[in-house]
Amino acid sequence: MGVILEVKNLTKKYGGLTAVNDFSFEIKRGEFIGLIGPNGAGKTTVFNLISGFQRPNSGTIRFDGKDITGMAPYKIVNLGVARTFQLVRSFKLLTLLDNISVSCLSSRGKKVAKGHGVDEYASTILASVGLVDKARIPPIILPHGDLRKLQIGKALGTNPQLLLLDEPFSGLSHEEQDVITDLIIKLHDDGVTVFMTGHVLRELMHLVPRVIAMHQGKFIMDGTPQEVAKNKIVLEAYLGKGEVFA
Amino acid sequence: MSAKSLSKGKGRVKKKLSGSKSYLLNWSKTFRGRLTIICLIGLCLIPLLTQNRYYLGIFITAMIFSIFAASWDFLAGFTGQVSFGQAIFFGISGYITSYFIRYLYLPWWASLLIGSLVGVAFGLLIGIPALRLKGPYLGLATMVLGLIMFYTFLNVKFEPWLGGSEGISKIPQISRNAVETYYIHLIFMITSFLILIWIGKSKMGTVFKSIRDDDIGAEASGINLTKYKLIAFMISAFFAGIAGGLFAMHNRGVNPGVFQPLYSFYAIVMASLGGIATISGSALGSYFFWFAAELFSEWPDVSVFIFAIILILVIRFAEHGILKPVLERLKDIWDLVLGK
Ligand SMILES: Nc1ncnc2c1ncn2[C@@H]1O[C@H](COP(=O)(O)OP(=O)(O)O)[C@@H](O)[C@H]1O
Ligand SMILES: [Mg+2]
Repeated sequence: MGVILEVKNLTKKYGGLTAVNDFSFEIKRGEFIGLIGPNGAGKTTVFNLISGFQRPNSGTIRFDGKDITGMAPYKIVNLGVARTFQLVRSFKLLTLLDNISVSCLSSRGKKVAKGHGVDEYASTILASVGLVDKARIPPIILPHGDLRKLQIGKALGTNPQLLLLDEPFSGLSHEEQDVITDLIIKLHDDGVTVFMTGHVLRELMHLVPRVIAMHQGKFIMDGTPQEVAKNKIVLEAYLGKGEVFA
Repeated sequence: MSAKSLSKGKGRVKKKLSGSKSYLLNWSKTFRGRLTIICLIGLCLIPLLTQNRYYLGIFITAMIFSIFAASWDFLAGFTGQVSFGQAIFFGISGYITSYFIRYLYLPWWASLLIGSLVGVAFGLLIGIPALRLKGPYLGLATMVLGLIMFYTFLNVKFEPWLGGSEGISKIPQISRNAVETYYIHLIFMITSFLILIWIGKSKMGTVFKSIRDDDIGAEASGINLTKYKLIAFMISAFFAGIAGGLFAMHNRGVNPGVFQPLYSFYAIVMASLGGIATISGSALGSYFFWFAAELFSEWPDVSVFIFAIILILVIRFAEHGILKPVLERLKDIWDLVLGK
């Protein structure tokens, strides 16, 4: 299995603050991998850099062998990298079906949707994230758990090879977390490479076989969740926050 | 294409047609639908009541501005790009249309088409700042561009080419027959509205609305914002151009005044009066506005005052349009009459 994502010496500064500091890692096709670190570690910034919403000060990002550093976000999406946001976003006045249709109308989504028709393809996706009975309502009246599902559905509409999920469990009850967990496992089984962040290690512990840990923008270690949970620097980073297993 | 996929395609078209038929049927049963149909029938019958050129002229002006306001509503209501320079497209098409009629002796419809297409080119040009600017900044930038056009066309140095403060005059009207002119404008208004509403309901319309609701989210969904914003500006500019060309012919000439921000405000106020993102609300707003202007035509100061008040109200309560509560009242009365 080849490398699907290669990040090399990535650095992003905000004024005097280095949010991501000389960060490097690789992800293989078909992997299921977590990115952890306490709040403010730089996880979201890493996702923003990969998805093109921010430009790095230095370093390179290669997707499928192709240099995508600093490329426009929509182009990166159309190469096959989709993302969700830590703070949920939606098209507030469009129906859920149309929320998904938009991604199906991207140049990458269109290729798959062509055979089925956009509406049909969008409803299939809506069904796969468990929202098909709400197809005709707008997202403003949805509970938070459904909004998280919608996020994933919107990403799926672009037919991604690599899916970046930023804190997909944030703000969810344990029951809702289980539903999203099942959904993510299913996506991974279907062949999507999944890269997700979490600031609570417990959430990722039983889900992913591999974790990258970061702290204050720096790479700390890469290993199984068990190895990471034993790492001294990781423990220190979380010390006092009581968040590692919380 | 194989025979199988062809027949499948036919089935889909059939399904779509019957779908839109039942949609129309349902629509015609709603209050808004009935009101629209009654108004349309009313507009068709007006020339039976009066053939007076002056009175029909008021209706024609209102129809022209319906199209103009709808063009703004399309851009702001569907795509979320609030332009304060809509008069640029209106004015440039007015000039080009007049120029081709007056100096190149082209038929009015060909000149109007050329004028509107030049409007589209300006839409592309004005759309470029919209790629970087948002909200009030875009509004300000488009307004300044409008002012630049106004002063350029007014400038004495350019008078030999642009006509100075006189502009272009002595344009023949579309038809000597007032009733015929009336119906031509009615057809323009209905066709423009149908096209704009249809685009709004199309897949492209869904993409426009996604940009309006959350542009970052749209980009994360793989949408090329540049492309769609420019398309929206071009479509909007086309219809503003149609309105501008018709306006020039209706007034038998055009002068730099058409580039004034006032005209952009007209479009905004009329569209907002009838309800943003409705398209057809623009007609409501425009008729309301022109009838009110007619009522107070003896006291032009009063009408400016009223316009200012409406503008303030619109800015304060613009979201659903000022006329919506009135419409709802009307619906209560309607229900009462029908004994519901
Ligand atoms: N747009 C921004 N401007 C300035 N500072 C930022 C910006 N985004 C993030 N930061 C800072 O960068 C650091 C990393 O933030 P972030 O990537 O959101 O961390 P995480 O997702 O791991 O919680 C934080 O100190 C944060 O305050
Ligand atoms: Mg974060």
